[in-house]
Amino acid sequence: MQTVTIKPRKEIRISVEAENISPDKFAGKTEKEILSMEAWMGNQKTTLGELFSVKVDGSGAAADTKIVMDGDFSRIKRIGEGMTAGLIMIKGNVDMHLGAKMSGGKISVTGNVDSWAGREMKGGELIIEGNAGYYLGAGYRGETCGMRGGKITVLGSALDFVGEHMCGGEIIVKGNTGILPGLSNNGGKIVIEGNTSRPGSEMAKGTIIVNGTVDEMMPVFKVEGTETIDGVTYRKYTGDVIVNGKGVLYVK
Amino acid sequence: MELLIKNGAVYDPVNGIAGDRADISIKDGKIVEKVSSGASVIDAGGRLVMAGGVDAHSHIAGAKVNLGRLMRPEDSRIGLKSRTKITRVYSGYTVPNVFAMGYRYAQMGYTTVFEAAQAIMKARHTHEELEEIPIIDKGALTLFGSNWPTMDYVREKNLDKLAAYVAWGLLASRGFGVKVVNPGGGEMWGFGKNVTSLDDVVPNFDVTPAQIIVSLMKANEMLRLPHSVHLHCNNLGKPGNYKTTLASMELAKQIKPAKDRQVLHVTHLTFNAWGGTNWGDFESKADEIANYLNNSDNVTTDMGQLIFGSATTMTADGPVQYANAKLLHAKWGNGDVELEDASGVVPIFYAKQISIHAIMWAIGLELALLTKDPYKVLLTTDHPNGGPFVNYPEVIALLMSNKKRQEEIKTLHEAVHKRTKIPGIERELDFNDIAIMTRAGPAKVLGLLDTKGHLGVGADADVAIYDIKPDQIDPSVEYAKIKSAFQSAAYTIKGGEVVVKDGQITATPMGRTFWVDATVPEEQTEIMMKDIRMKFKNYYSINLANYMVQDAYVTHPKVVKAGAIPVKVS
Repeated sequence: MQTVTIKPRKEIRISVEAENISPDKFAGKTEKEILSMEAWMGNQKTTLGELFSVKVDGSGAAADTKIVMDGDFSRIKRIGEGMTAGLIMIKGNVDMHLGAKMSGGKISVTGNVDSWAGREMKGGELIIEGNAGYYLGAGYRGETCGMRGGKITVLGSALDFVGEHMCGGEIIVKGNTGILPGLSNNGGKIVIEGNTSRPGSEMAKGTIIVNGTVDEMMPVFKVEGTETIDGVTYRKYTGDVIVNGKGVLYVK
Repeated sequence: MELLIKNGAVYDPVNGIAGDRADISIKDGKIVEKVSSGASVIDAGGRLVMAGGVDAHSHIAGAKVNLGRLMRPEDSRIGLKSRTKITRVYSGYTVPNVFAMGYRYAQMGYTTVFEAAQAIMKARHTHEELEEIPIIDKGALTLFGSNWPTMDYVREKNLDKLAAYVAWGLLASRGFGVKVVNPGGGEMWGFGKNVTSLDDVVPNFDVTPAQIIVSLMKANEMLRLPHSVHLHCNNLGKPGNYKTTLASMELAKQIKPAKDRQVLHVTHLTFNAWGGTNWGDFESKADEIANYLNNSDNVTTDMGQLIFGSATTMTADGPVQYANAKLLHAKWGNGDVELEDASGVVPIFYAKQISIHAIMWAIGLELALLTKDPYKVLLTTDHPNGGPFVNYPEVIALLMSNKKRQEEIKTLHEAVHKRTKIPGIERELDFNDIAIMTRAGPAKVLGLLDTKGHLGVGADADVAIYDIKPDQIDPSVEYAKIKSAFQSAAYTIKGGEVVVKDGQITATPMGRTFWVDATVPEEQTEIMMKDIRMKFKNYYSINLANYMVQDAYVTHPKVVKAGAIPVKVS
């Protein structure tokens, strides 16, 4: 078992590309090695050691590596990018692209995350106790597949385009979401406990369940009557008929 | 500046050298008889030496290439390389940025590449991009197949005017040759329709695709252009289209070449050697095409080899791209060039377990292996339609090793056994064949054999050295080594300057842009220009003065002279 504890040395105002903060990259590494890992701050190349204090206990493979991050990481991007195993626990807020392309392991955040969290993730789990920004679990510009697998849970709310181009996996938002969740999705499941607007536009496949109110429905769904899931009766819609979609939208 | 390449195992088919040890002397960017003792020396140490690679058909610059980039921001995330002291930032796989085009070709030992299609009206954009592609020499073929003036003159059977228009169109676009894409179809697509055979009549113009092809071949030979007509056949992308392809090739028999080359180059056969009547009974008819090529001397082709994985199809064939986008539920980019042509861009992913893709993979290889003369089938992937050009080494390895092909076949959809001939083809090409398909052949097809595609005295000093010792390798078994050696040249020398060493870019000189200045009698141009001026007055949305590509857009030109001579072409 390896535990790596990371704290900011100072207030960081310029965004940092920190894709090296990942159990895969830290596994088996010493404090010195981690301190000297590369990071870009704005257009300047720097090291993790310049920005953070790092403490390493023990040594282990990625699956046995736990990264504990304590402090304000609201300008630190790409934490846990592409991770395949292990654990990242963040006490604080983080910037964009948290857990992008991750395929395994678990990331938990006590604060808020910025946009593109869980972008194109393939597996693993992402738990966000605060709020999420735009494009949660979506595909980046031009991609036809966003999230393909794994699970994202947001205890707070999320902004627009939750699960855009989603092809698999599951997203649960306990609060509200912005407009167009599940835009152009092609699989997977999105559960919104709160309110939203215009869900499921252009969806080809996949499931969206809304337990709150839908402010505005897109006029692209076929009404399929009602269906009861776990004792709750929903209005059921299928579509988007414009793209011959087979997606299913349940609204309470 | 003098350079001596010693001790290479040289493959230079044009000069009859097949693996013999030879020295190559270079002075002032040309290959010369000998150099002084002060010349710098590269010891090839028995490694494979060929002329710089020549690609006669690749989509490297212009409006639709850039539309591909705009449509595929996700592609530009692949292969990102940071700036170095020598190279600029580059990235992208199917639609790489301009710098990547030059660097990656050079890394494979290629030094000359031709963009396969530019509409005259979009030519300025093509040249803006060509100007930014480093290292390689380049040029662009100009589309003439659906242009209104072309179809008018074909209907009027006025070859003098047609030749004058082609000459002027090449000047206006700073183009190198005559490209014809789905002749007539580009015009029909303006009305949401297409032509379905060589004898369909294009409404409003009263001409057929066959007439357009034959007339342009005649005009091409009247003008004695270095390259022949370069044809993307009608019905491309439809099962059963091999018949149209063969019928188009048959048209070439009516024409005598004005130069020592083919009269018709039929391109990317992977997409138009298709049998069957629908996607269910779809099969390869590459053997029929190869059989035709084996019995004919006036037609050449290229493979357009399919590469599994991501590709971006882009063509002036607008209707086929609409069909593709519908079939694949993919992103669709559509373009219309007023009075001239259409275009379309659709991303695609070629998968080994999709029967149609597996059969298409076989078609390119079958064509290359069943055609006896390698001068008749050039190695291309129709970048990025069949796949990105960086995969040429993969194609080379497949052509040189039956073992590699058989191993690949094991991973493919079973249709490849029943509906292609590839599993039973044992032929393995040698280094000489590869040198023809990637150097001598393309140079001959383009009409550039005086300076390109060989290592004789007077040729451009474009040389590639690969880290293979031909006498110590069995390509049939060691295909992985073949592939990696061709991916990353030990040396690429462009115009006498070392531009790549051990696969790394060492210098980025600016290449030249080839274009053809074809003269026609002045009075013919004057008569033809009256019609053109009327077209601009009545139909074009821009002025004639804003239409021509100015010299400022071609800062390193290499003008090839051609022109009409008063000889009647049959």
